[in-house]
Amino acid sequence: MINRKFLAQDILSDEDLNKIHEATMNLLEKTGIEVLHEEAREVFAENGARVEDTRVYLSRDIVEEFLEKAPSSFTLHARNPENNVTIGENNSVVVPGYGAPFVTDIDSGRRDSSFEDYVNFTKLASNSENIDIVGGVLVEPNDVSDELRHAKMLYTGAKYSDKCLMGSALGKKKARDCFKMASMLFGEDEIIDDKALVITLINTTSPLKYDYRMLDSLMEHAKYNQAVVVAALIMAGSTGPMTLAGTLTLQNAEVLAGVILTQMVNPGAPVVYGTASTVMDMKTANLAVGSPQYAKIIGSIAQLARYYDIPSRAGGSITDSLIADAQAGYESMLTFMSSVNHGINFILHSAGLLENYMTMSYEKFIIDDEILSMVTDYQAGIEVNEETIAKEVIENVGHGGHYLADPHTMSHMRDFRDPILSTREAYTSEENLVPAVKRANDKWKNILNDFEAPELDSEIEEKLLNYMEEL
Amino acid sequence: MSKFEEIAEAVISGEVEKVGELAQDLVDEGVKPSEIIKEGLVAGMDVVGARFKANEMFVPEVLISAKSMHAGMDVVKPLLAEGESSSAGTVVIGTVEGDLHDIGKNLVAMMLEGAGFEVVDLGVDLSAEEFVDAVKEHNPEVLGLSALLTTTMPAMQNTIEALEEAGVRDQVKIMVGGAPVTEDFANEIGAYAYASDGSASTELAREFVGA
Repeated sequence: MINRKFLAQDILSDEDLNKIHEATMNLLEKTGIEVLHEEAREVFAENGARVEDTRVYLSRDIVEEFLEKAPSSFTLHARNPENNVTIGENNSVVVPGYGAPFVTDIDSGRRDSSFEDYVNFTKLASNSENIDIVGGVLVEPNDVSDELRHAKMLYTGAKYSDKCLMGSALGKKKARDCFKMASMLFGEDEIIDDKALVITLINTTSPLKYDYRMLDSLMEHAKYNQAVVVAALIMAGSTGPMTLAGTLTLQNAEVLAGVILTQMVNPGAPVVYGTASTVMDMKTANLAVGSPQYAKIIGSIAQLARYYDIPSRAGGSITDSLIADAQAGYESMLTFMSSVNHGINFILHSAGLLENYMTMSYEKFIIDDEILSMVTDYQAGIEVNEETIAKEVIENVGHGGHYLADPHTMSHMRDFRDPILSTREAYTSEENLVPAVKRANDKWKNILNDFEAPELDSEIEEKLLNYMEEL
Repeated sequence: MSKFEEIAEAVISGEVEKVGELAQDLVDEGVKPSEIIKEGLVAGMDVVGARFKANEMFVPEVLISAKSMHAGMDVVKPLLAEGESSSAGTVVIGTVEGDLHDIGKNLVAMMLEGAGFEVVDLGVDLSAEEFVDAVKEHNPEVLGLSALLTTTMPAMQNTIEALEEAGVRDQVKIMVGGAPVTEDFANEIGAYAYASDGSASTELAREFVGA
């Protein structure tokens, strides 16, 4: 969890925010949202929304009333309380890549991701000092059956890590399985519903639609006080307007409808305002995530979420590059740094991804971990006091001397972080010329070799395994 | 510029009305309808397809070119002699059960239409039975199945199995696509081919019908 000392300059003015808000209110009231879940429509109707057929219309009063109920921050609990995180305030909670159906490394190349990869990336995430949350679809374990996948992912996250966990968005039953298993980690047989143990990604179907499974899961989470991130992935130009202001407006209408539903189900339920919306490259029809347009959307989303006083999600260390090359590096730094500097509270996709969201790379994971660590250090700001200003030291060393042997240097030379991947060697021979991706390759292998899982109570593990047996 | 070149140019630059007018001029001059299609309209779209593939055109420009071609088709089609077809072939397309994501499928459908195929777009979230019924009804040369989610990819296999059971599996060439879908997966489930995008699916469909 990065505690941010400062924010970047705002992207939208107050007037811009008001204009987007006003257009959104109008869309929610007049155009409405397609809600493909009967029970969800009933909840909307019971709380005063106009429902016609499968369409839900929200008046300004309803929007304001229920947005007011959403918490501005909340705590997500880990089985090791030292790893709890607060989602909101001046924090950026850091979460690795999510949902990739492929993995790659420079030895074996791109392939379908498997359960083995899932375990490996869980270990890498567990080992990282910068990552706060594991579980969820860290990579898609394609070789595990659909009925078991959510449970095995949660179990793996819990076994190899004592950090916070993500849950399942695929309907009510799977969501509840995850709550059950997460509660077992806290020694409870019944679902714990007075604090958030999992956080789950709920997506809209743009434009202006929610599908059944996502709504089913969203309502179940709200009911049990478990956290959801409601997010849209609009591709400006195809599933949304070509302009960024238009995409922000459409995305605002979609996400607010989901946020409001959580509060209608259970006032005060933890919810995050999210986006993965970006532009489509209009010549290839592909998503463009490593773009300055996305960096601007990230900043705008942080502002919109603050406007409604709820935590935000956007960004990550993401790129359109197909391999872990210079493009992957500069795009990922742009998107991650924008996410933190603009004040995004929950940064999904922070490590590992290539090819927008399609492929998790072992080497890129390590490269991104370096980015996370660098930005964390940068956001810590500069400590300014008598000791650090060092006026006397400057006087003592005087003109033309040096500071190398000064006691002040000795006592502060370990203040700064050491790079975990970057080189600062000088050139002596060709042997120094090892690219970052090769060093990252050595590094992830070492981490996996040396990995030791945090202890998990054997009785609890037994219970989790038994629970999975019965699924 | 010959009249054919002129109409092809108008297709390329997406001048909907002009294409209709030029097609009418050619008809009035007594040019054979099938020639207007082949030398004018389709020739124009071929250039569009090649330029799009080379990243030289924007998607909306391709769509407006396709619309222009259809404006020409509307004039010429009713005049085709019996037995002459204006269509390169028929493609039935849709997203498989459980998947509502259709932007990729829509792009492919539009590209295929632009290439002169008759496209029956069934929409989204279609059961295996619905695909079987559509194949029986429309008797297409090509069936396109689309999925964006890894969780709905198995529905592609179910659909192919249902076509097999219904005895219509061999009547159509099945092509599959969508972000998580791969060539390997296509082979595994017994699809005929995998298409990575709109251009690739158009080329494949043309191969299938021998056009």
